[in-house]
This record gives sequence, C-alpha cells and structure tokens, in this order.
Amino acid sequence: MLRYTIKRLVLGVLTVWFIATATFFGMHAVPGDPLSSDKSTTAQIRANLEAKYGLDKPLLTQYAIYLKNISQGDFGISFTQENRQVNDIIKEHFPISAILGILAIVFAALGGILWGALTALYRNRWPDSVIMFLVILGISVPSFVIAAISQLFLVNINALAGTTILPVGGWGTVWHMIVPAMVLGLSTMAYLTRLMRSSMLEIVNTDYVRTAQSKGLPKTRIFSRHQLRNAILPVVTVLGPAIAGITTGGFVVEIVFAIPGLGRYFVEAIQQLDYTVIMGTTVFYGAFLVFMVILVDLLYGWIDPRVRISP
Amino acid sequence: MTKPLLRVQDLHVEFATHGGTVHAVRGVSFDVKAGETLAIVGESGCGKSVTVQSLMGLIPMPPGQITKGSAELMGHDILSSKFIDGQDIRGSKVSMIFQDPMTSLNPTMNIGSQIAETLEVHRGYSRRKAFNRAIELLELTKIPEAEKRAKQYPFEFSGGMLQRAMIAMAIACEPTMLIADEPTTALDVTIQAQILDLLKDLQQETDMAIVLITHDLGVVARMADEVLVMYAGQVVEKGPVDDIFYRSAHPYTLGLRGAMPSNDPQNNQQLTAIDGSPPDLFSPPKGCGYHPRCPNAMVLCNQRAPVIESLSEQHWSRCWLHHADSEQRPQGLYFRPSAAQPNRTPEQKGTSQ
Amino acid sequence: MSDTSWQPSPGDFAIAPQHQTADVITRPSMSYWQDAWRRLKENKRALFSLYLIIGLVMFTVAGPYLWNIDPSAQDLDQIGMAPGAERNVTVAPAYTPWYGPEDSLTYAQDNRLGLTLVGVATSQAVRLAWQAPQKGQTNYGYKIYRTLFALNDGDAFGLPLMETQNEYFEDRLDLQPTDYYYTVVALDRHGLETDQTSTIQLTVMRVITLLEAEKRGLTEDGLVKEGDQIKLALHPFGTDYLGRDMLARLIYGGQVSLFIGIFAPLLYVLLGVIYGSIAGFMGGAVDQLMMRFADFAVALPFLLFMILLKVIFGIGPGESGVLPMLVAMVILLWPAPARLVRGQILQIREEGYVSASKLLGAKTDYLVFRHMIPNTMGVILVTITFQVPSAIFTEAFLSFIGMGVAPPTPSWGSMCNDGIKSMLTRPHELFFPALFISITVLAFNLLGDGLRDALDARMRNRE
Repeated sequence: MLRYTIKRLVLGVLTVWFIATATFFGMHAVPGDPLSSDKSTTAQIRANLEAKYGLDKPLLTQYAIYLKNISQGDFGISFTQENRQVNDIIKEHFPISAILGILAIVFAALGGILWGALTALYRNRWPDSVIMFLVILGISVPSFVIAAISQLFLVNINALAGTTILPVGGWGTVWHMIVPAMVLGLSTMAYLTRLMRSSMLEIVNTDYVRTAQSKGLPKTRIFSRHQLRNAILPVVTVLGPAIAGITTGGFVVEIVFAIPGLGRYFVEAIQQLDYTVIMGTTVFYGAFLVFMVILVDLLYGWIDPRVRISP
Repeated sequence: MTKPLLRVQDLHVEFATHGGTVHAVRGVSFDVKAGETLAIVGESGCGKSVTVQSLMGLIPMPPGQITKGSAELMGHDILSSKFIDGQDIRGSKVSMIFQDPMTSLNPTMNIGSQIAETLEVHRGYSRRKAFNRAIELLELTKIPEAEKRAKQYPFEFSGGMLQRAMIAMAIACEPTMLIADEPTTALDVTIQAQILDLLKDLQQETDMAIVLITHDLGVVARMADEVLVMYAGQVVEKGPVDDIFYRSAHPYTLGLRGAMPSNDPQNNQQLTAIDGSPPDLFSPPKGCGYHPRCPNAMVLCNQRAPVIESLSEQHWSRCWLHHADSEQRPQGLYFRPSAAQPNRTPEQKGTSQ
Repeated sequence: MSDTSWQPSPGDFAIAPQHQTADVITRPSMSYWQDAWRRLKENKRALFSLYLIIGLVMFTVAGPYLWNIDPSAQDLDQIGMAPGAERNVTVAPAYTPWYGPEDSLTYAQDNRLGLTLVGVATSQAVRLAWQAPQKGQTNYGYKIYRTLFALNDGDAFGLPLMETQNEYFEDRLDLQPTDYYYTVVALDRHGLETDQTSTIQLTVMRVITLLEAEKRGLTEDGLVKEGDQIKLALHPFGTDYLGRDMLARLIYGGQVSLFIGIFAPLLYVLLGVIYGSIAGFMGGAVDQLMMRFADFAVALPFLLFMILLKVIFGIGPGESGVLPMLVAMVILLWPAPARLVRGQILQIREEGYVSASKLLGAKTDYLVFRHMIPNTMGVILVTITFQVPSAIFTEAFLSFIGMGVAPPTPSWGSMCNDGIKSMLTRPHELFFPALFISITVLAFNLLGDGLRDALDARMRNRE
C-alpha cells in the first residue's frame, strides 16, 4: 500500500508537470500577445512591461523560470489587476469554491448512495420509477438551467412567504450555501444514483448474499454488512472524476448565484484574457484534481481489502 | 422407527418466467434422520438445488413459488415460517454450504467476522467472543494458523480453504442439519476428499444430519446413507446407498452408473452416456419424464406417469417396469425377488402422480 | 392423482418404438447484430429514443426548408414575444414630433402631480403630462420612472427614464404592447426626490405605420388603410430579446449543437480507437509508451483545457467558432476511448477463439477484421452514444460562460445563455433551447442504455 501510494504520488507530480507544460506552451501559442491592449502604448512602456512579466527573455528561459516559480507555488502577477499576485487571488477565492464543492460532493455521494439503494430495494415498484424518472431528468437537464430554475423557485418561495427564507444569491452564511451546493451536486447525484442502483441489483444476486441469507441474518444486517459496502465500491471509484465534474460545474453555479469563488473569477479572467490568472488557475485546478483523484483511489484501497493488501 | 428430523412431503416449486411457468420441482417427498447423510443426485436442472433452496427460503419470490407440499423440521412447518421459538432456523438449526466457495463469501469482510456474524445473531455473543469462537471453529475445520487466517479476506484463501471456512461458518451454531449443495464440485480432486472427510468427521462428532446434493456418484458412495435420485423435478428412485448402487431399479440410475468410471482394473467397460437431454419443464411430460431417453421405454411410459413401486422396505422406484404386468427384465436392472409382494406402501399412496 | 380403478391393458407394456427423438432445440440461428437489434427493438424506451433522435436530426436538417426564416433577422415589432402572443396590430399614421400638451388638457385629480396620459399609448410613443406641485412654486424639475410591475408601498419606481424641467414627457424607449406603470417624482432644489409623486398605469397598444407594414409584406392586397387591424408575422415559438424568430434559431442552433454533439464523439472515439488498437496490437514497449502518454492526456482537466484551447484558437471575425470547438474536443477527449479499446484488444487477444484462429493459421488482418473489430464494435458504439450527451453539455457549458460559438451563430447552449438573462420576464427564451438540449441528451442516454443492454448480454439484468 505504501509503495502504491508513493508510486501514485510520483505519477501525480509528473502529471502536474505535464499539465503545467501544456498550459505554458498552449498560452504562448496564442496568436497576438498579452500586452497588445491599451496599456502598452509606447515602445518604452511596452519594453518595461515585457521586462516586468519576463516576456523579453527567450521562450525556454521563460519556461524554466515558470517551472521554478510553480514548483515554489508562485503563479505570478495578474495582467489586468497589477500588483495582485495570482496566489492571493487563489487564496482568497478558492476556499469558497472548495467549501461549495465539498458540500456538493457530500450531498451527491450520500444522496446517490441512498437513492440508489432505495431504488434497488424497491425495484420496479413506484418509488423506483419516481426516483429513476427524476434521475433521468437530473442527468438530462444542463446544470445552468437547473441553477436558473432553482433560483426562480427561490424568488417565488421568498415572495410567497413574504420574507427571505433562503437567499437567492451571494455568499456568507450557511444559508447561502445550501441551494447552490444542492444544484451543484444534483447531476452528480443523479449519476451516482444510477450507478449505485445497478451495483445494488448486481449484488442482490451474488452468491455471498445468498450465503448471508442462509445464515439467517436479519434483512437489515444483510443490507448493511453485505450489500451496501460492496455496492458502494463502484461508486467510490467514480468519485474522482465526479470531483472534477463538480469543480467545473462550480463555475456555472458561482456565476448564477453570484458566489465569489475561484470558478467565477476564472471565467472572468478568461473573458478579460488575463493570461497569468488563466495559467495559474488552470495549473492550480489541474494539480488539485490530480491529487483529489489520487486521494479517492487511496480511499478506495482503504475500503476494498483486495486493493489494500495486495502490493 | 425414530421420528425423522426433517420430513418433506409432496413439494412443488414453480418459477414464473417470461416464457411461461417452469415446473422445477414436481412432488418431492423425503425424510432426513439425525446423524444420517441423505444424498440427492441427478443431472443439472433436475431440481435438486431448487428443492433444498426452497427449504432454506433462498428461492427468490417472485418469480419462484412453492405451490404445494409441506416441510417439517422437528415438527415445525418451515415453509411458511423460518422461525422456531423466535429464532431463524437458518444458520442455527439448519445451515448450508455452497458449490463455489470463491464467490460465496463476502469479499470485503474478513473470514473471522463472517463466521462470527452467525454467532452474534443467533447466540447473542459479543463481537469479541464470537470472533474467538470463530478462530476455534477454523481450527476445528483444520485451518492452520487460524488466528491469523481469521483476520484475512476471502481473496487471500485458496478454494479448499474457503470451503473449510464455509463449513466452519455452517457449523458455528451446531446445527442439527447441514445442507451441502455440491460442496466439492468447484474444488480439485485431492481437496474434494479432504472436504468430504472433514464433513464426515464433523458429522460423527455432532450427530448432525447432512443433505448432500451432488451429481458425482463417487461422492455419494463415499458419504451417503440414503440416496434420492432425481430426474425432471421428481424423485425416480430412493433407497439406501447399497441398494442404489448394487440393486439399481430405475433405468435412469442405471444410466448414471454406466456413466461413472470404475476403478476396478478388470473392468474396462466403456463409459456410456445417456443420449438426449432432459425434458422441457415448461410443459412437463404427461408420462414418465425419462421415457424419451429410456432404452426400455414402453408404450405406456409416454402416456401415464409411473407410480411408486416399492422393492423393499426402504427402496422404491418410480418406473412402470416394476409393475406387476410388465414382463421386460432388462439386464442390470434390479427387480423384486418375488412378484408376490404387491406394490405400494400406504405412506406413498397419495404422492404418486 | 392416479385413480385406483385404472388397470393397465396388456398392450401398454409393449416395448415402445425406439428413438422417439428427444427434444431437439431448434431456434433460428441469429448473428450477434441481428440478436442485438432484436433486443433493442424489444426495449420500448430505447426504440422511442432512437425515433426521437431521428426526429431531431430531421428537424434541424429539413427545418430550414419548411420554415424558411433567417435566424438573424430581427422583427423589431415583436421583441421577446412569447409563443402564441397577440399578433394584431393597428395601422397608425407615421410618427410626428410632440411639443407638450395642449392647454385644454384635463389632468388627473390625485391631489398630487396629476400625471395624465395624452392621447393613446401606442408602441410608437407614450405621451405624459402633469402639473407643477403647487401653483406659483418654483419648478426644480422632475424625474420619470417606468416599470412593468404594479407598485406597492416602498417599492422602487423602476427604470429611471429622464430628468426634465418640463411638465410633460414623451417615452419612445422600446415600448412593448403590455401594461406599464409610469411615475413622476418632483425634485427639490438640490435635485433630490421629494415625496411629491404621481403614478399612472397604462396599456400600450401596438401600432405600425402603413409604410412599415408594406415594407414587411403585411399588407397583402394594398387595401389596408390607417386604423385597420392587421396581423404581424407569425413566430410559433416566439421571438428572443432581439426579436429574432425562436423557431428558426432553434433549427439552426440545433444544427450547431447536434453537429458538435454527434461529430465530435465520432471523431475522437475514432481517433481513440486507432490509437488504442495500435497500442494494444503492438504491445510491449510501444504500448507502454503510448499508454503512458494517454494517461497524462487523460489527466488534463477537460473543461479547463477546453477553455484554454478555445482561448488559444481564438475566434476570428465572422467565424462561428464551431470548428475550433470540435478540434479542441478531439484533442482532449481521445485518450479515454483509446484506453478502453486497448483494454478490449488485450482482452480479446487472450481469448480462446483468437488462439484457436491463430492455430488454424489466421493472418493478422483476418484476426483484426474477423475477431477484434466485431468484438469491440459494441463497446465503441455504446461509448459514442454516451459521449453525445456530454459533448452537447460541453457546448452548452462553454456557451454559457461565453466561450462557445460566436454570435450571431445560434446554438442551443448560447440560446440558453441568452435566455437566462431574461428568465423572469420571458421564460420561453430559456425554456425552448433548454427543452431541446434536455430531450436530445435524454434520448441519447436512453438509447445508450438500450444499446448497452442489447449488445452486452451480461448487462441485461441491470436496469
């Protein structure tokens, strides 16, 4: 397990390097140059700015400096907001996105496991049909539409109640988090529900569940000890990609609900073509996702003895 | 005669499928006595597994349904309720081991806990006490380093080891009856012998009854006291093991014996296969289920279901050849010594359909 | 039950004629694909989805011929119209400038400013007049507001239109045939609002000038005269915030969305299949190297790099940006199918039937075309089907954050993005494109489920 962990971490670092490299050369392949905006009116100013951002050096030197900075966790200075470190931007906005994301993934995972198990137990009866219909809906409707509709719903609820039951947007209290986190987790939850359901249905027919029945165990015990734990395994394997989905899904939710997270900031940076912020956040998010996937895989190993014990 | 431990009478099990109703078990009756081994033999799909699974409540319902019959364990009806004195008979009074030990154990739970679970549920043991007992049980089933092994997971065990663990699990609550559904089929031959010996030893120690399901006549010869031969959802011959092997009275039993290799070096007879395949149980035949494959089929066999013809007190066969009016005497088949003894014991009267 | 009265007759025990044939299992033999097709046809949901997809494709392909409307053309008389909205319009004289009310005007008696409508409120102009707060008091000016919603106490007055020194006002700003609430507020000497206000509710009548009507071909026979009611152009699905026909935009937007949704997965799955089968076939070091690279590529956070690539490619003036999106998807998404296909190939290579085929002297190309391709086809087909919804979502997501196709090219995603902004007042602008996306994604998901069940017998028990 330790060897496996180290191997995964080394591969993870290599992947982050790959992401950083792809980002660097990708951004430098952008036609036009980042300083062609109104700031660089004269040749002198332009030269100064180029020196400031290190753009006057040869590409490979820039790459080396860039890698060195990144390895020290320094993502440079923003192009559009001078004197603002990309690190500061990440530090300020990422925690908000992270809280939202964590809430969403917890909501999605718990919901997915619960609904999936429920539908499998009530297979082909009405609770199954109703939930699976909602699940199909959750998978088929784009997240921003769900976000918009839930916002509309909030507006109406608040208007009906004559007071603010839940805020329609913004950030600050726990109440601000509930609806955005639910919206963010919804499609993942729908996906996990489907997965959990088919996994449960498969396990109901396994030999070891039959063995458990032949042991005369109560139904609840068979369910919790023998079915649930094994059925959750495939759900855990897709949690890594699910986290990636929720991270990028966060962009949309943050925009719709006016939440000052990193995702919204990233989208703004793209619209303003703020190169260092784009590069910085991409590499940061990339690294974050890579290590989340590793974390989930290690978690899987912890749950599944077959992975935990074999080298 | 002592009261039997388990008495099954006229059991019928059906499965509703998309293609129609499968009549998997069609009137099976037998008794199991304490300390004895009953073997149920027959080819795949003859209903032997369904019979015992319906006793254990392991038939998924729907599609399965027990349409008729009764099963009494120590005087309690176990078809309608699995509980005797508030306790689930499964795992306590009756336990079961399965064909493929590799898939029959929970892959994410350690062996010890899986054994201990039974004790926690039926005996109310604490987790620790149950686990310690599980280690003792593993020792009892001759698993080396039981303490270490108990903490391991199924994938760390070999097939034979797993079957031992299964047996340990099955005998945890000292059941009065153990059902073994092809316990050795998935194991290699040397391991098979060890497992069978283990079962026999345990039986001698605890005086439990064993119901052994198999298609291997070698296993039957080694283990059984009494044998049921099943074909197409019915018992076609029943008797003590010696009668079945040396006085086979049903052509199907004879066919099975012909398909079994002998280890007598003098006997270099060729193995003979039974041609054809079992009947379609969607619509069971009106007559004898075996008649299309039977070398001695008579006109009557196609039209009328044979009745039970007893050959001795414990031995009977469901075949028209034993009818008083039948004159055929195929070679190898055993017949009543004198035709004077008229047929049918009263007990089996109503069940012969 | 055997009745005891029955007695066998002697003939019963005669030996039966031999070989009454045991049941011969006769079922027509079916190829794998025939069997899969049969199973798919049995799955009502999947079949319905297939028809739905065909219908959607027909809608976008045949649509332009049946509904021959330019998706970029604006109908300025019907901006943001819901489907089925009133299309009657009164022909009115051309607009003439207005320089305040006549003296004979009677003002409303509300003890305040007496805000009054002058003439008829039409979509050409709304003319309002009011009186100074008190006779003789100095006039410090007024502020005029407009809103669509009824005013309650404490509400804001809505959109500030103008500050004026006059006691009249003419509103010509984007008037729609609906109810408006106008408020005039008197200002104090500092230019601040006083509590001297007056509100009026009025309904705007839609009018069109004769000239305009003729220009748009609404006057069929030239017999129309001023004061007549005629009907405006039909927009079955309404119009968007710029007065563009929603149906036409849905058709053309569908072309973009479905093009990306179907072609992108086809291309990158194909690329992945080629890459994966080469790797799987070569094996050894080549395979290791190729797969290591795929591992890296698959770790790239997809949507981030999608955005990055869109930035890198840029969208030139006059370009739709569809092609760069397609290319970016292909660049980023080939590794997953590549890994899948390689896994399949490796698995099939070890199968008994391949070994048997090799023993019989089969050549590589025979193995590939006879065993490898047919046996991976099912998995590939299912993958493509399931990739379509995610490609459509990707397009919608990019459009939503402003990185999608460039306006004015419509796509369902960009239409949703436009619609969200006016969701409260004109829900149909969001509803229709969202509906089309959802139906398409739903259909492909259900078809994918059906295909997976039909092609993979092992999966048949699942759902």
